[in-house]
Amino acid sequence: MDEYITQRGKYVTFKSGNEYFGLKIEYVSEIIGFQEITEIPESEDYIKGLINLRGKIIPVIDVRIRFKQEPFEYTDRTCIIVINYNSLVVGLIVEKIAEVVEIPEENILPAPTIGKADRSQNKYVYAIGKVGEDVKLLLDPDRLLNDADKSVIEQVNNETEDEGEEE
Amino acid sequence: MAEEFNTGDMLDVYLYENQQLLEALQDMVLEQKDADAFDEDSINEIFRTMHTIKGSSGIMMFDEITKASHKLEDIFYFLRESHPENVPHQELIEHVLATADFISGELDKLADGESADGDATELVAELDKFLTKIKDGGGKKTAIKENVHEEPTQFYIAPASNCTKNYFKVYLTYTKDIEMANMHAFKTVHALKEIADDIMYSPEDILTNPDSAQEIVNNGFMMLIQMQGTEEDIRAIVQPGYDIQKVDVYQCSERDFKLGFDSVGSEIRIDLDSSVEEIEARAQKKNAEEPEKTYSPGDFVVAKKEPGKAKTLAKDKPKKAEKAAFISVDISKMDMLMDLIGELVISQSVVLQNPDLKVPGLNLDNFNKAAGQMSKISTDLQNVIMSMRMVPLTATFQKMNRIVFDMSRKLDKDVEFEMVGDTTEVDKNIIEHISDPLMHLVRNSVDHGIETKEERAAAGKKEKGKVTLSAKTESGKVWITVADNGAGLDRDKILAKARQQGLLEPGRAESSYSDKEVFQFITLPGFSTNKNVTEYSGRGVGMDVVVSNLQSVGGTLEIESQAGKGSSMILKIPLTLAIIDGIVMEVGKSSFVVETSAVKEFVSVKESMMIHEPTGEESIMIRGECYPVLRVGDWYHLHDYQKDVEKGMMVIVEVDKRKICLFVDRLVGKQEIVVKPIPDYVHKVRGLSGCTQLGDGSIALIMDPAGIME
Repeated sequence: MDEYITQRGKYVTFKSGNEYFGLKIEYVSEIIGFQEITEIPESEDYIKGLINLRGKIIPVIDVRIRFKQEPFEYTDRTCIIVINYNSLVVGLIVEKIAEVVEIPEENILPAPTIGKADRSQNKYVYAIGKVGEDVKLLLDPDRLLNDADKSVIEQVNNETEDEGEEE
Repeated sequence: MAEEFNTGDMLDVYLYENQQLLEALQDMVLEQKDADAFDEDSINEIFRTMHTIKGSSGIMMFDEITKASHKLEDIFYFLRESHPENVPHQELIEHVLATADFISGELDKLADGESADGDATELVAELDKFLTKIKDGGGKKTAIKENVHEEPTQFYIAPASNCTKNYFKVYLTYTKDIEMANMHAFKTVHALKEIADDIMYSPEDILTNPDSAQEIVNNGFMMLIQMQGTEEDIRAIVQPGYDIQKVDVYQCSERDFKLGFDSVGSEIRIDLDSSVEEIEARAQKKNAEEPEKTYSPGDFVVAKKEPGKAKTLAKDKPKKAEKAAFISVDISKMDMLMDLIGELVISQSVVLQNPDLKVPGLNLDNFNKAAGQMSKISTDLQNVIMSMRMVPLTATFQKMNRIVFDMSRKLDKDVEFEMVGDTTEVDKNIIEHISDPLMHLVRNSVDHGIETKEERAAAGKKEKGKVTLSAKTESGKVWITVADNGAGLDRDKILAKARQQGLLEPGRAESSYSDKEVFQFITLPGFSTNKNVTEYSGRGVGMDVVVSNLQSVGGTLEIESQAGKGSSMILKIPLTLAIIDGIVMEVGKSSFVVETSAVKEFVSVKESMMIHEPTGEESIMIRGECYPVLRVGDWYHLHDYQKDVEKGMMVIVEVDKRKICLFVDRLVGKQEIVVKPIPDYVHKVRGLSGCTQLGDGSIALIMDPAGIME
């Protein structure tokens, strides 16, 4: 319970491309330095492969490729954020870890959408957090990890269900 | 109220113990299913089992289970005491199994976190009917009063000390010619126990000493009762009848009660030939002679305690000795231990093969000695944890025994069931996966395989239908065979059905299909040649599920059949999935592992041996045999791999008598590896079945040759 309170409203932020992204700290289990990755053939491009996290073998994904941005060269500053979302443990390769920030609820705005069809831009971002003058894009780990097509289908399904209820 | 007791450990223990009991019970019953009657030990055992279940269910307040087990206990009580003749054995077995089924059904519900809401009324009525029937059948010999008292839910409550207590002495005089008076006395005590806080009685050894019967007949039976009720309550339970001639109830003081039977002598006794002192002396003498009594579960023990020291009447339930040798462990803890040992083995090789040790000029004698010792221990450790996960197939096979029995009765087929090698041990995980497929195959054998009695007679088959379930280990795999001596598979029928479903290759003669190919059709989804859908099978779902279940644990199914003679289904399953012996090889920067048993040989080849087909496919001619070549680097689109066949290595792998050649850059070595699944998050890749950690901590992918060949 205490842990929950101390974690509330805190986000781990990292840089990818020109933007800063935020992930709820409760999903983050640890941050490790870059280590050698074993490629898995025939998998999606953003799944870079497997790493050995102290005996546990976990998949890692490249967040930049996941966001359809240009791939980047891995360096010493490259980090892997190990997240645990619904007991799914995945490493996220990010360019640079920024900091842990606290964003109060009133500073969180829903992600702007132009229209229903416009999902490509912010399908991973569920909200925008304001920290001073800066803006952090808050990531939805579910959408980040799971296949976009699948989640779109699920969303459509959910929406049709919702509409059904409204009638 | 029940919820209060349903918490955690108590329920777990209850479920665990009773499931064990039921399994043992079922095994025993099936063992004697072909006998004419149960032997005495079995009757006692079933009685005790039911008694224990009744008792513990009573504590847990699962009333329906209590009722059902109580009724069955009654039947066996009757069997035990009266030895009636003409008991329809088959019917009895069915009743026992039905009750066991009901109870295990309820237990399963409880295990799933549901409430035990089954209704035992019908079952109890059936059992009642049966009891009445065997009583009538047993004739006049049944001079035993039925174990009728309705046992209310038992609460184990400390006697309320601040309530008004009444103390009574009860003298019972039995009819002179009654048999087994001790059992009658015991039943009376048992019945009174429901209203009494405390009971003492004399003679004390009514259960263990058959001579006490005579003593009771001669001297009467005495009880000292501490209770909150009145004399009328006692009289309501203990009434003169065909067994009891006379009931005397006297109220006495607490002091008298505490003095026990020593004070009894002060009372005036009527209708007794010998004095109470004599009985006293006899009883006490007997006590002295047998200070240690052995009680079996199910015996009520009320004696042997200090008078007046109020204790609740409880059943003496000694734990079975062999049970103490087992503890049940959460499977996730086992898995954790397994993982840790895997880690230990790997980190050990990291230490032992540390590059720091390669510095020239180091004196490593002592280190190597210590390292050898450590390797030995860790190997032992690994073997122990592996053996912990290995469980014999016995329980799984027994379940099949039950299925065959049920089905043969329902389908009116005369089927014998034989088990061979049921002690073969298999990894627990695997057993879970093969239980359903096995059940399906056994059902198929009985339902489709074995013919009806008439058909067998017409075909001139004299012997009983027989289903044989056998298991053996061979070349690192467990072979489980389900064989029957029934009609066998009908090749023509299967072919006809395949034609109808458009499964045959166009332009291929039906006669060119081998038997093996034809039989493979029945493993396709929706394929059933059975015209009649029965309770058990014929819907055309199943064989495909069997095969896919087997494949999920790396097993295969082979079908052999001979028309008129029967068929056998052979399941080949790996012993364990957790650790395999593998060959590590490298392609580019990636490491791959192939299970050693699949590897036939390694060959260095010359370019001239290669055969390039115009389609880009390659084969290689080695010693007059031609193998298709698969370049692993190409197959998985890797980078920087060896393209020159003369510089790399050919690995010939064989699966199901099909051989292919894998081309890799170089071999690293042979190693025992701990198999880990590729995380679910990554989509399944063709030909990869898992991953593992190598000695240096890097990850290797495990190749599954069968997957590549698909």
